[in-house]
Amino acid sequence: MPDHFLGVEGASVSFGKGGARVRALRTVSLLLKRSTFSLVMGPSGSGKTTLLSLFGCLLSPDEGMVFVEGVAVNRLREVERTVIRQKKISFVFQAFRLFHSLSAIDNVALGFRLRGVRQSERIVMAQDLLHRFGLGDKLQQRPTGLSPGEKQRVAIARALAGNPPILLADEPTASLDSQEGRNVCRIFRSLVDESGKTVVVVSHDPRWQEFADRTVILRDGQIEREVKNP
Amino acid sequence: MKLAWQNIIHDRVRFLVTVLGVSFAVFLMVFQGSLLAGFLQAASKLIDASDFDIWITARGVPAFEFGATLESRVREIAAGVPGVIETGRVCMAFAVYRNPNGKQQIVGLVGADPNIGKHFPVPGLPGSGSVEVISPDAVLYDESNRDQIEVTTLPAEVEINRHRASIERQIQGFGSFLGLSYLFTSYRNATRYISLGPERTMYILLRVGRGYSVSAVQQSLRRRLPEVDILTRQEFAHKSRIYWMIKTGAGGAILTGAVLGFLIGLVVVSQTIYANTMDNIEEYATLKALGASRAFVALIVCTQALICSLVGSIVGLLVVVPLVDYAKSLISWVYIPWWLPVAMIVPSLFMCSLASIASVRSALAVEPGRVFRA
Ligand SMILES: Nc1ncnc2c1ncn2[C@@H]1O[C@H](COP(=O)(O)OP(=O)(O)O)[C@@H](O)[C@H]1O
Ligand SMILES: [Mg+2]
Repeated sequence: MPDHFLGVEGASVSFGKGGARVRALRTVSLLLKRSTFSLVMGPSGSGKTTLLSLFGCLLSPDEGMVFVEGVAVNRLREVERTVIRQKKISFVFQAFRLFHSLSAIDNVALGFRLRGVRQSERIVMAQDLLHRFGLGDKLQQRPTGLSPGEKQRVAIARALAGNPPILLADEPTASLDSQEGRNVCRIFRSLVDESGKTVVVVSHDPRWQEFADRTVILRDGQIEREVKNP
Repeated sequence: MKLAWQNIIHDRVRFLVTVLGVSFAVFLMVFQGSLLAGFLQAASKLIDASDFDIWITARGVPAFEFGATLESRVREIAAGVPGVIETGRVCMAFAVYRNPNGKQQIVGLVGADPNIGKHFPVPGLPGSGSVEVISPDAVLYDESNRDQIEVTTLPAEVEINRHRASIERQIQGFGSFLGLSYLFTSYRNATRYISLGPERTMYILLRVGRGYSVSAVQQSLRRRLPEVDILTRQEFAHKSRIYWMIKTGAGGAILTGAVLGFLIGLVVVSQTIYANTMDNIEEYATLKALGASRAFVALIVCTQALICSLVGSIVGLLVVVPLVDYAKSLISWVYIPWWLPVAMIVPSLFMCSLASIASVRSALAVEPGRVFRA
């Protein structure tokens, strides 16, 4: 069932209790196909990050189902969800979240390590990835020595380490200038076209629309509308 | 485990403080350990130096230094017990020593029969550091007491309990831990100085023949001589050590120092590791979001503690060994057994596992879901 490759069905998530209870998602259903690029937009507080956390097995819904590679994961325990993340899902963050004490290449090598790649191969593979993203001369730089765009490219390389099929990104260009942002958009598009990744990007940034296959707009924890891109 | 290592050394000042703290802890532990080992060794040194299997002491004698007299006929009775092939006598008493300049002080006087042991300091025997046979009435002193004995040339005429005595040789390895000097001479000569009549003696040592079990002989001696204590050499040595270490509180004081060292190390390492973990808590969340197992996260935290403990221990040992050597030159009985620095691995590992507990718990507790929220 390719339509269930990645998705949520009737998913609700709320935070807090009693009067402080916030319903972040209200019975949301969204099924994504393999090797597609989906964009989630919407005002802040509309539940975009919460939805991405469901896809990423970082959160279990109060109600409803979550599918990863066609398998329901909403009932799994944290240990089992960790294994799903390790094998299938990678993340790119607005704030990069690189390991501050490690060089660019070691950050990426750690990504390989987390996905169980043998020590002898990690460094070479990390080097290849960084070269591919134009960071061949920054291998030994610590994150503090990199520009925001470079940091995000290192983070993307780390996310791709070990070749997980799913890539989830929350506001990946919000900390970048427009040229760096465009560069990152192009990288994501090529990951879908050339490597067959399934990509979900959450962003306010309307520029993404021209790269995405479909755009879902959230409001108040519900899907307000959807735009199919050509 | 590059992440663990890099995280630790990224904050150099903190790392340095940790290494210093741990090395101080290891230093204290080894130093106190050497004191303890030396003290224990010194407390039973003379007993261990005897070649005999069984020591007979007056009832309730707690340690070699506090002997009481018993009847000489005990020796004849003991000699008649099957399995006993040789006997010897040792006496020990505190005496007034008057050096050639007329200055007086209290010394411990030890007298022993010449057969007591090759390593036992008795005059008239080859060994005990001397090659030639010297007069059995000669008095020996340990080089560590040279300043108190105050003799410039040998032999030197001195007085012990107002008897004339002749100090003839300096020996090594029998420094006293009591803070007063020991003098060694023959049993016969010593009884003269301390006015021990022929009908009394102090320690009777027995050698058990081949083919006899020491404990069987000990049992039959106990039946024959119910009014005295019959101990194997090891038992008496142990009793003396226990006495000095526990009853006098000296061991407790030393042990407290070692425990203090351990606690200091523990606090320093746990503080560092905890502070480091909290500084990097967001990175632990990232690790978990990227699929790191609980074991991996725990491993990183523990490796950091291990690195701190290890580097600190090495630095501490590098400092302590020359310092103990120096202490040895001041306090003759300080002793650093070869295994003591090696044994530091155990408290160090224990320390770093304890120190990691709180940090591992916080690192494991962090929600991977927070990665999108920072
Ligand atoms: N961990 C949380 N605890 C409490 N409330 C939360 C938590 N995460 C999100 N929320 C709330 O849920 C709603 C949706 O949040 P989020 O999914 O982050 O929206 P968006 O990413 O679109 O800005 C918001 O009102 C937010 O305050
Ligand atoms: Mg958000």
